[in-house]
Amino acid sequence: MNVVQATLSGALIGGLYALMAIGLSVTWGVLRVINLAHFGLILIGAYLTFQLATSWGIDPLLTLVVTVPAMFVAGAVLQWIFDRLALTEFNSLLVSFGLLIITIQVASNVWSADFQRMDATVNPYATESVSIGRLVFPVTTLLAFVLAGLVVLGVHLVLRRTFAGRALRAIAQDRAVAGAFGVDHRRLSLLLGGAVGATAALAGAVFSLSNALTPETAYEWFGIVFAVVILGGIGEVVGTFAAGVLVGVLSGVVSVVWSPATAPFVLFSAIILALLLRPRGLFAMGAVR
Amino acid sequence: MTAGVRGAVVLLVVLFGLLALGVFGPDLDFPSFYLVLLGTVFFWIAQTSSWNLLSGYAGYFSFGQAAYVGVGAYCTAVLTGRHGVSFYWTVPLAAVLCGLLALGIGAVAFRLGSLRGEIFALLTLAVPFILSAFARINGDIDGGQGTIVPPPEAPGDMDFQQFQYLLALIVAALAVGVSYLVQHSRAGSALTAIHDDEDVAEVLGVPTFRYKILAIVAGGMLGGVAGSVYALQIGFVTVESVFGLTIPLFVIVMAVLGGRGHWLGPVLGAVLIVVLQDRLSSYGLDSWNAIFLGAILAILVAAAPAGLYARLKARPWVALIAFVVVCGVLAIVNLWGEELDWILAGLLAAAAAAIVLGTRRKPVPVPQQAAPEPAVSTVEDEPDDVPPVGDVVVECRNVAKHFGGVRALEDVSLDIRTGELIGLIGPNGSGKTTLVNLLSGTFRPTQGEIRVGGRDITRLAPHQIAHVGVARTYQIPKPFASMTVRDNVATAIMFGREPMSLRAARPLAEEHLATVSLDHLADSYPASLNLHQRQLLETARAIASGPKVLLLDEALAGLNPAELDNAVRVVRRIHRSGITIVIVEHLLRVLNQVCTRIVVLDRGTKLADGEPRTVMSDPDVVRAYLGRQAHV
Repeated sequence: MNVVQATLSGALIGGLYALMAIGLSVTWGVLRVINLAHFGLILIGAYLTFQLATSWGIDPLLTLVVTVPAMFVAGAVLQWIFDRLALTEFNSLLVSFGLLIITIQVASNVWSADFQRMDATVNPYATESVSIGRLVFPVTTLLAFVLAGLVVLGVHLVLRRTFAGRALRAIAQDRAVAGAFGVDHRRLSLLLGGAVGATAALAGAVFSLSNALTPETAYEWFGIVFAVVILGGIGEVVGTFAAGVLVGVLSGVVSVVWSPATAPFVLFSAIILALLLRPRGLFAMGAVR
Repeated sequence: MTAGVRGAVVLLVVLFGLLALGVFGPDLDFPSFYLVLLGTVFFWIAQTSSWNLLSGYAGYFSFGQAAYVGVGAYCTAVLTGRHGVSFYWTVPLAAVLCGLLALGIGAVAFRLGSLRGEIFALLTLAVPFILSAFARINGDIDGGQGTIVPPPEAPGDMDFQQFQYLLALIVAALAVGVSYLVQHSRAGSALTAIHDDEDVAEVLGVPTFRYKILAIVAGGMLGGVAGSVYALQIGFVTVESVFGLTIPLFVIVMAVLGGRGHWLGPVLGAVLIVVLQDRLSSYGLDSWNAIFLGAILAILVAAAPAGLYARLKARPWVALIAFVVVCGVLAIVNLWGEELDWILAGLLAAAAAAIVLGTRRKPVPVPQQAAPEPAVSTVEDEPDDVPPVGDVVVECRNVAKHFGGVRALEDVSLDIRTGELIGLIGPNGSGKTTLVNLLSGTFRPTQGEIRVGGRDITRLAPHQIAHVGVARTYQIPKPFASMTVRDNVATAIMFGREPMSLRAARPLAEEHLATVSLDHLADSYPASLNLHQRQLLETARAIASGPKVLLLDEALAGLNPAELDNAVRVVRRIHRSGITIVIVEHLLRVLNQVCTRIVVLDRGTKLADGEPRTVMSDPDVVRAYLGRQAHV
């Protein structure tokens, strides 16, 4: 029973990983920018939700009305900067790393380096849970999973079915040729950057529902989120979701069966093994790239 | 005196000066505050210099330097603080542990077929995280709260500040020394070649895996030793202080700031950043620290990716004047700050001056290529010059190569004899380049056997195949961008069948450049060459490795008629020098003239093989090339 519970809880937590990873994966695959500053956006999104819910006393999910547009703009601005600088893939990693450091320091100057958590009075979600038989699922992880699912479905449909999505996939394959056929990559990348920023707001909000915040958390996301991005296949939307769930299940089960201490080892060994066997990602189907 | 030797002399003078400062400083009332600061500078110099071996020279950016610092520091802290082991024993142990850790990381990462720079960076990012999680969870390693490091007994009557200063100085000198030696040895050339284009380096005979492992292990050991001394310097070791992301962050910012291609770059970066940090915290601006670092990183990568060293080299006097003026004026006016503030202001002014003005270098005049002289060719075309056809040198037996369901090559058997000049033709997608890739070891055949000089090469790595005697060129030329034309060729000579130093290889490189009529461009960089010249450089580099067989992959594509004549002349010249040639080409007219034999591939199988004239009139060949309706 423990293992079943761990599997399902892990899968749900995997939704949050996927929600965080999806923006990174798409900007990397389509725009060829490895945007570490995405973690900064998630962090700021989380703090904004925390701040607005605490000081205005509103439902944390209502803060999305503010944070999603704000992060959309922030994401678009970031993308505009990357576009302007015309960086190579690797240099974008370094530049965005610099931006991430700045963001984390600013967050720690504004909100202090201490752990902060939303008050139970404003955040009804933290304590609630849904139980099916003897299985218990916290509402927050359910929420993360559902949101991740919706975002994945949305991004997938946009990329597959719409004109803009086709144009973005063309950019992913070859920017110069896409440009020669009249695809305006500047405007589309701004849009995509904005959309990615919006997913960061969602991820941040969901994270702040169930976790205490400290600026350094952004670094802790690194390992697992990049694992999800790489396992899912860079730029693969559905693959990222599947990888998120897989990683969540794996760490959940390993934590229960052996001990939480072994989870990182098993996880990263599994990732290295996966890279050896399936270098393009476990779920790569050649969707975007 | 060459620049390299001068650098070594300056390095030694500075080292002895600093040593003397450490030994006699306290007697001369040298403030111990400076000893502490310099000790910190030395720690970071050791870290960046050791990091630079792999990440700077070879271009594999590591985010995992904290792993070595952490293991080194923990080794010393836990063993001396909790188990009473002598400090002097823990230092070599730290080196061994970190060397093994680096070996493990390298052995896994460099075996990944898909490894790219970004993936390596992210993999190395994970290592300190895993180690710190391990240390945090297994609290009995450090007692859960961190470890106090007892100061070891210093030799003589040295006080602790002096002792840590000297230790850190020795470690830093070691790291810089190794970095210097690597840059000026064969390993340096190999790592630079890997940085520029790893596949080409391998095909030219550079054992890339071995050199990458060498660099990562050397870097890991030095980083671990410095980490072990760092434990002593900070006195109290916690997981956060040694495994945290600040260490790789600092290392990366310093190396990017200073420049990564030269041993001096990381040193410059470390000095500048540590002094800046110290001044910021002395003014109570600690919370701005990370913001400055992040901004420096982001702006520099975008604005001056080559780093400070390259800019200073372009404008050394401007920078020196800026330093002296700013530092001097502040010292004379004496309205603000203290000595260190003035020095920092001077350093920043010098760096800013170099970065802003360093780009305005005089444009290097590109020597114009002399027009090819067609007159010579008539003499060279004497048929009796052609070497006689001898024994079989390359033997392909039933070779097949499948990519998933695609059968790129199927059951191809082919003998190549010494002295032959074989034209390999076929429609696009017929498997010509695949065959070249199999012969040069880029791919392994799915089935069949390839022997070169009687030796089975199907299990050999590309660099071993190069040493057996196969060289190739690429359809799209891939020169080493950071080397001159001469050093491009010299690198191939250095890693050919007889290992050689760069100094010995350079004159030989000139000879090969003369063979392809490119000697007048020896000092240019590949970026200033046109397509034809790049293809010639590619050919010169290939023959420089001393091959028995040379594979030319579309070496004549995209040339104008004059260039084509020149290229054909070069091919003949190489052929006459005794090298067997396989040339992949579409220009049948040219192949007809130069080749002794023509092999036709069609849809992965051998369609025809023989005298040029016989092959060209073969109706199957005509159909494959021109379609069913064609009349001859």
